[in-house]
Amino acid sequence: MQEEDFVTIRLSVNGEIHRLVVEPRRLLADVLRDDLGYTGTNLGCEHGACGSCTVLVDGQSVRSCLMFAVQANGREVMTVEGLAQNGVMHPLQQAFWEKQGLQCGFCTPGFLMTAYELLQHNSNPSEEEIQDALSGNICRCTGYQHIIEAVQSAAQSMASSASVSSGTGA
Amino acid sequence: MKPPKFRYFAPKSVGEALALLAEHADEGRVLAGGQSLVPLMNMRLVHPDVLIDINGISELSFIEATNGGLAIGALTRDSTLTSDRTVAERLSVLSEAAHCVGHPAIRNRSTVGGSIAHADPAAELPAVMVALNAEIVARSRSGSRTISAQDFFKGYLTTDLKDGELLTEVRIPGLPPRSGSAFVEFSRREGDYALAGVAAVVTLQEDGTIVDARLGLCSVGPAPVRPQNAEALLRGQRPGNEAWTAAATAVASVIDEPLSDIHGSADYRRHLAGVLTKQALAGAAERAERNR
Amino acid sequence: MTTTTNGYTWIGKDIKRREDPALLTGSAEYTNDVKLPGMLYAAVLRSPYAHARIVSIDTSAAKKLPGVHAVLTGSESTEIIDPLPAFCAEPVVERAIAVDKVRYAGEAVVAVAAESRYIAEDALELVEIEWEPLPPVIDLLAAMEPDAPKVHENLESNVVYNQVFTFGDVNGDFARADHIIKRHLRWPRATAAPMEPNGAVCKYDPASGHMDVWSNTNMLNFVGWLIATTLKLPPHMVNFYPMYTGGSFGSKHVISKVVAIAGALSKVTGRPVKFMEDRIDNLTANDSQGPDRIYDAELAITKDGKFLSLRVHTIDDYGAYFMFAITGNTNMMSQISGPYTIGTVETGIRAVLTNKNQQGVFRGAGSDVGNWVLERLVDAAAEELGMDGIELRRKNMIQPDQFPYKMPTGNFYDSGNYPAVLNMALEHADLAYWREEQARGRQQGRYIGIGLATCQQRSTYSATEFWFHNPGPATGLTSAPESVRIGVGPTGGFTVTMFSPFWGNSPETVVSQIIGEEFGVDPATVSVTYDSTAHGLPGAGPGGSRMTVMLSGAMRGAAAKVKDKMYKIASHLLEASPEDMEIRDGSVWVKGTDRSLSIGDIGFKAYWFKLDLPVDMESGLEGSFTYDHPFTTPPSDDRKDLGAFYPIMGHAVHIPIVEVDINTGQVTFLKYVAVHDVGTVVNPRSLQGQIRGGIAQGIGVALYEEVQYSPEGQNLTATMNDYLVPTVAEVPKVEVYHHETPSPFTAYGVKGGGEGGRMVAPAAVTSAVEDALKPLGIKIDEMPITSEKIVHWVSQAQIQPS
Repeated sequence: MQEEDFVTIRLSVNGEIHRLVVEPRRLLADVLRDDLGYTGTNLGCEHGACGSCTVLVDGQSVRSCLMFAVQANGREVMTVEGLAQNGVMHPLQQAFWEKQGLQCGFCTPGFLMTAYELLQHNSNPSEEEIQDALSGNICRCTGYQHIIEAVQSAAQSMASSASVSSGTGA
Repeated sequence: MKPPKFRYFAPKSVGEALALLAEHADEGRVLAGGQSLVPLMNMRLVHPDVLIDINGISELSFIEATNGGLAIGALTRDSTLTSDRTVAERLSVLSEAAHCVGHPAIRNRSTVGGSIAHADPAAELPAVMVALNAEIVARSRSGSRTISAQDFFKGYLTTDLKDGELLTEVRIPGLPPRSGSAFVEFSRREGDYALAGVAAVVTLQEDGTIVDARLGLCSVGPAPVRPQNAEALLRGQRPGNEAWTAAATAVASVIDEPLSDIHGSADYRRHLAGVLTKQALAGAAERAERNR
Repeated sequence: MTTTTNGYTWIGKDIKRREDPALLTGSAEYTNDVKLPGMLYAAVLRSPYAHARIVSIDTSAAKKLPGVHAVLTGSESTEIIDPLPAFCAEPVVERAIAVDKVRYAGEAVVAVAAESRYIAEDALELVEIEWEPLPPVIDLLAAMEPDAPKVHENLESNVVYNQVFTFGDVNGDFARADHIIKRHLRWPRATAAPMEPNGAVCKYDPASGHMDVWSNTNMLNFVGWLIATTLKLPPHMVNFYPMYTGGSFGSKHVISKVVAIAGALSKVTGRPVKFMEDRIDNLTANDSQGPDRIYDAELAITKDGKFLSLRVHTIDDYGAYFMFAITGNTNMMSQISGPYTIGTVETGIRAVLTNKNQQGVFRGAGSDVGNWVLERLVDAAAEELGMDGIELRRKNMIQPDQFPYKMPTGNFYDSGNYPAVLNMALEHADLAYWREEQARGRQQGRYIGIGLATCQQRSTYSATEFWFHNPGPATGLTSAPESVRIGVGPTGGFTVTMFSPFWGNSPETVVSQIIGEEFGVDPATVSVTYDSTAHGLPGAGPGGSRMTVMLSGAMRGAAAKVKDKMYKIASHLLEASPEDMEIRDGSVWVKGTDRSLSIGDIGFKAYWFKLDLPVDMESGLEGSFTYDHPFTTPPSDDRKDLGAFYPIMGHAVHIPIVEVDINTGQVTFLKYVAVHDVGTVVNPRSLQGQIRGGIAQGIGVALYEEVQYSPEGQNLTATMNDYLVPTVAEVPKVEVYHHETPSPFTAYGVKGGGEGGRMVAPAAVTSAVEDALKPLGIKIDEMPITSEKIVHWVSQAQIQPS
């Protein structure tokens, strides 16, 4: 079994492939932020308790402060920067904007990625399901209500545009 | 809060992992979910010289139906436990308990094997394993052995795993007919470490009396507590508040080294253990009744 | 939900925030996102002891570690940086890196700059320190004993401040009272714990002697010069950039320590240096923990329930340093008598130093505590008299025709309609139903409680509260201004420049709404920028719920200047008189005619067509305005009258309804109604967000949050797993309603409302839980009301039923 001081990894981030040489101890959060410039993901605690650093790895939400970048080798990572497409905000971002689901914005990328995962698996979550999904993301500004409303609104608009595009109006 | 340096290995098979564990016995740690280990490293409370990342060993990730029960690979994620249908059908108490582990992003990474091997006193799965009479399979380069859950948890963050051993699976027997199970816990906030948690399994006779009861408690001692005195008391009783209250009192009496910290004193945890024992037994009995 | 249509077009509208797109897409730049060429990263080694002498520090191994550029001990730092700024008169000296001794567990003793934060932390592990532990003073009362170990040897005792302020004939009022309601109360130490810790990037240029600072520190333009003196640099040579800040709630006021450490390391290395606190740094050493008080409070009342007088005596544990002096206590004096016609007040303040991290200001800044103390007394008075708490409050409320109201300490309440706010809250709370539920519940062994708090929420501080607690002539600082610059470009585009940072409040949205209001253009077309202190105008920054008021005033002043020039240009070109001009829908019109010029046309002329402008007029079209506090007066020399220092006074009523599970101690919210009156509301949705967030923090201190120290002074709540802030599951859906009683003193009648949620919720939640446990005779005089405490109180009550 080979081992080295530095490891070469291939990471796909928001669809773009990056080849990097990293120390094994470098956290995924730091590699994303400092090496690759995806500074949207924020560090709130560095011990997994606050959720600010949440990104998706192979479609699953993870605390990027608790994963070493080498563990994401060969995987697809999605950060908040991957939500908007061609300058158009994702319905989740639109809904957060509409409902003022943020104030300082520091925890927001973590909430967006967590909500994104929820809506991938559950297109019509109840309020309780939304609360359950977001229970690991801490916000110190909003008191959470506008965030819940934003996720509900996003679910609605994503569901209705899905039914439009699949022609279920007929 | 950045982790200290370590040498990193990512074995692709159990055999490779065991070879590494043998070679780096005293300086190496296994990296599974990392949700307990990495915070400790970020805070520089632990400095493993070697990390053996087993996340690439796909053969460790499985859920198999066995003779009424389950065999679960060590790398099975807690999020899988909460959503898997076979688990829900056969041993729903496992899904219930897994759902209490932290939060969704934590559960996407945390593993069954990791939780059991780390043996945090507040961890839910160890208590459930004890209540379910699970068996833990540990492999090393010299072979494989099976340890009963009861014998596996030795004390605070201490298990029977020897240097060079890797926990590879847990085997849980099925529940007898007319059984029901439940897991309840209480924490300061949703998803926090439990101040007390109780797993209960109740099996009924055809006439509705209790033929067997099993309990496993977390957060009330350095290791999971299995209050056999309470279990003995319940056999032959009719399900109901009187039985639950008697069991709760018996449970409290065997909690002799509860944890105590800023979130809950020993007295409070002992009190909660009693309250939750009643709730868990009532829940398990209700489900057993539905299966009668 | 707005109750008044205020006649404005844009003010009062729920427009989307202009701050949000950058925040939502991750492109907003916070301090930790700043990356400069050659930048180094700092980390700090912290004292494991609460109180100890530093005998020796060996940094030789640390210095040799590859990638390390500088290692600085406290003594080494004294050549590079001076002590930190402090607003206290007392000689309490704090250094960014401790020299000779440490005074709290977590105090910085060595700072390292290295090529990565990883390497910096590796280096810290190589530092060897020899300590002489000293006996720690942790208990507040023990610290007051004459033989207690001294936190600062140069002070006579740990009691660093001890004064009683008397306003009116308090003794006389107490003598003639029929009942004296007494409560002994304990407010716990909490901390802001914003999601973003404190941080700074400092770039020192030795050639020019100039330093640039990117930091989430606040008050850059107000007291930034103080930080410059700490850095031993001429103030005008230090340039601060206002940064997007991930929350503050007061904790980022004057965070000079991170700037001093990054700045010192930059001076030493000649490279830019970033020092970001991590979460443990922030929770242990942020220099901004909240009030930590014991109260003996008394309310003198007549047998009919009229409040006569108030005595409030406190001992406050300030921690090891005293940066803000007792502002957390003077703040309270702005509204200490609440919304009630209490005639006289006595307040005694003892500030004690201990071996803990120091207090700063945390949302409410002491007035949250004052509200809680007063409402505890009012609840007790209602109980003692057998009167309904609502009627008792109503009986004592200041009436709408009594404003501006001078309250006993000398501060004014500018306007208010407290009965109307109370009625609105009652209307939405549906108490008839809940009282029935409560009664039914009690039959079934359920414990439902209905809470009520009617409280003040002052806004817009004047600077006098920073010093009027010191005796002597009234000649301290009296200014806390805010500036804006409005520029109109050659094509008519508006740019507003601000000089204070964004904290999560909505300053960009507020100013663009005001441009819309003043000039009749769509706020979405306004460009908003920030400027650094080198090019900037004075601004004290967010805090004390002041930004909406101060920005509104500054914007109105700047808009007036711009309009004045626009009218002069337009009237000159349209051959009319400036007095005959008005602005509407993006154009300037001659009143009563259809002759107009668009703002675009005017802008074009202003920049390019000098010869078309009035003679003697400069080219360009812009206006800056520095707005000072609209109503502040100095205190009297004898301090019997503190003057007007926080007169822009809002008010709120909260009615939470809870259920307490007496088996586990869990508190669940069944309903929560909040009505806030903060004058004219600029953006209702944005204000609602602030109120909800404040209520979440108020629920935090009421039920979950406490900074805890062991008897040896170890900080036991140094991670987010131990310092428990509410998650989504702990915060109820709050029904928020607005009532608007405009201020007579401010632009558009606005008042500040950012702190109100946290200022009222603790009182309301405590009231609700106490009401729930009333059948057991349990009185609640402390917080956080944890589930364990409830179980304990219940078991005590069941042993000795009262």
